[in-house]
Amino acid sequence: MPVWVREYSWRQSAAAVFLSLPLRGVRVTAANIFCTERYLKVSVPPFLFEANLYASIDETASTAKIGDGVVFFTLYKKEAAMWDSLTVAHVNKEELQYLRENAVLKAHEKAKEETEAKKVIKQEHRKYALEATMKLEEAERKRIEDLKEQERQKVTKDLELWRSQQEDVEKQKRVQKEGEQHKGVEQLKEKKKEKISKTRIPNEETSKTRLKPTKGSCSIFSENLKEEPLPAPRSAGTITINFTPRVFPTALRESRVAEEEEWLQKQAEARRTISADLSELEDLKEEERNPDWLKDKGNKMFATGDYLAAVNAYNLAVRLNNKLPVLYLNRAACHLKLRNLHKAIEDSSKALELLTPPVPDNENARVKAYVRRGTAFCQLELYAEGLQDYEAALKINPKNETIKEDAEKIRHIIQGTMQNS
Amino acid sequence: TVAGLERPQLVAHVQQPLSYTVFDCKWVPRSARLLCLGSAARGSGVLQLYELRGGRLALLQEVEKAKPLKCGTFGAAALQQRFLATGDFGGSLSVWNLEAPEIPVYSVKGHKEIINSIDGVGGLGIGEGAPEIVTGSRDGTVKVWDPRQKDTPVANMEPAQGESKRDCWTVAFGNAYNQEERVVCAGYDNGDIKLFDLKTMSLRWETNIKNGVCSLEFDRKDVNMNKLVATSLEGKFHVFDMRTQHPTKGFASVSEKAHKSTIWQVRHLPQNRDIFMTSGGAGNLHLWKYEYPAQRSKKDSEGAEMGVAGSVSLLQNVTLSTQPISSLDWSPDKKGLCVCGAFDQTVRVLIVTKLNKV
Repeated sequence: MPVWVREYSWRQSAAAVFLSLPLRGVRVTAANIFCTERYLKVSVPPFLFEANLYASIDETASTAKIGDGVVFFTLYKKEAAMWDSLTVAHVNKEELQYLRENAVLKAHEKAKEETEAKKVIKQEHRKYALEATMKLEEAERKRIEDLKEQERQKVTKDLELWRSQQEDVEKQKRVQKEGEQHKGVEQLKEKKKEKISKTRIPNEETSKTRLKPTKGSCSIFSENLKEEPLPAPRSAGTITINFTPRVFPTALRESRVAEEEEWLQKQAEARRTISADLSELEDLKEEERNPDWLKDKGNKMFATGDYLAAVNAYNLAVRLNNKLPVLYLNRAACHLKLRNLHKAIEDSSKALELLTPPVPDNENARVKAYVRRGTAFCQLELYAEGLQDYEAALKINPKNETIKEDAEKIRHIIQGTMQNS
Repeated sequence: TVAGLERPQLVAHVQQPLSYTVFDCKWVPRSARLLCLGSAARGSGVLQLYELRGGRLALLQEVEKAKPLKCGTFGAAALQQRFLATGDFGGSLSVWNLEAPEIPVYSVKGHKEIINSIDGVGGLGIGEGAPEIVTGSRDGTVKVWDPRQKDTPVANMEPAQGESKRDCWTVAFGNAYNQEERVVCAGYDNGDIKLFDLKTMSLRWETNIKNGVCSLEFDRKDVNMNKLVATSLEGKFHVFDMRTQHPTKGFASVSEKAHKSTIWQVRHLPQNRDIFMTSGGAGNLHLWKYEYPAQRSKKDSEGAEMGVAGSVSLLQNVTLSTQPISSLDWSPDKKGLCVCGAFDQTVRVLIVTKLNKV
């Protein structure tokens, strides 16, 4: 329960009310004071003072002086009249409450209005500042432009002068030429053969003095040209060169370095994969655990025509390392020979999957995969799919004649069946 | 800022729209005339001669040729005659007298494919020795020609038998400080740079800068080789110090990334060999200055001499177009005057100011 402060003293003049409020032992700050037109409250725990003022005051002008143990209020009256008492007398509880709330509301509104006004002013200030800076920048820019323009004009005039001098030189040259022609054709030929080797062009001089070029060039033309014999044409020679090799034979701009790196990494990864369960393979010999050795074995058996054995070798190799595309590729070839067409398709597809990203390095492998799959499709009479694969192979390697011919054949077959149906 | 205005300014002087794609533009020495070479829409070659008059370019001459023209040089021309050597899309090298441009003075079908780049040395009173022309082609060969010898080149740099060829994109002469010495430097699309010594007919140095080499130029053709700038794709260029060749490490270099796109051309200012301009694929030009290091060479751990590269600083840059600026040439007669041709079918004449203060 707050302690109501009842002992206060006040006096008034026609325009103001002076209220002295004793609050001993507590520190009062501005936050503790709440004042509206007709309501004044000071709440400093544990003390509480409240006054519903007799008449309206101008709270913006009114002041509160916080002193040692006492707060001194100077409240300026809105209407200059003497108050009967400081507070409104005889108000009941409800009215009191109503008055309090009203006061609070009014304070709120006032606060709102103030912030609005502040905002507007701030906005205007900002606008003004912006315009000012813009003007400054414009001025600066214009100044630079003017300087540049001046520079330009100066330089243009300079150029014109130089150019007219060039014209004079040209005219002189022409006159000279005519003069020479009068001397005789032979002399002219002589002059033309002579090389102007020793005369130095005034290139290294600064071009500040505009008269210099005229003098210099005059001297070149009027000077008797020295009789420097030209050396004979060089004896012919050839230098053979080699170009810098690269891992991938494409210039940096053409290479898809990122993809190529990826491919190399994948290859390195694949080499290291050991996918099979070692326990099953304990009875295998050392060399039989090496996928490369198995691959070679498979290749040999394919070459001799023992396709089933080759498939077995590849199967085992795949169990050891299922990331090597070449194993699937070769197994697909075996299946083709064995007419296990679906298996051939499967293996070719797996090989193609492993041959990503597509880079020049794995071109050959991809061509083979497409051709094998295409063949399998055709043998299954799925000619459309087969043609697709052949065309993919051609896209990688457009120069291969066999692939071209086979693709043509397939096209004919497709057209033939379409005509028949 | 004031400090900014003390630097050289690249002032756009004249802009001339063309009705064809311009591949090369060159100043005619000793004149205010410039030459544009290119390809017309109907697939023929165009050669136009302009003169700078007032604030515009006046067309003096226009010649049409069978094949589009890719590059040209006056480098091997005598000052009196100023013959132009051109390389075209069909692989033919021709030398023209601009006063009678219908029939070439010299012509040879030197290459099987387009001649990408051409350079000349020994003419215009610059350098010593016989005038020679070098051409680099997409067929992977670099050939040196003497206009006095018909049909066969005096030097041929070709890939070895069985070697897959790489396009040669740029060639440059250098080191022509006396009658015998001369080198040719060639840049290829795989980033190879090869330096051929014509006196000993051998490969003197090679390196690889990873990205295709678009343009090569020695800072001066007619002195003991001093610096070589190589520009490449992906916005990089390298400046090699050519004074000291280490037996294994070759030449020291400093590289810089700029333009954020292909750097198409580099051209050194004829009047100051430490200033050069690069042109980029985004239509911009950058002006650079090279600063030498305190010591140009030092000894390595085994006592062999090796070069020390200096540093490059950007003086100024400007964006002129949205299309690549593929060709650039400084006027040898007026310091700061330059012409550039871009793929937006426009040729522009620029003046670079304050080069004396650099």
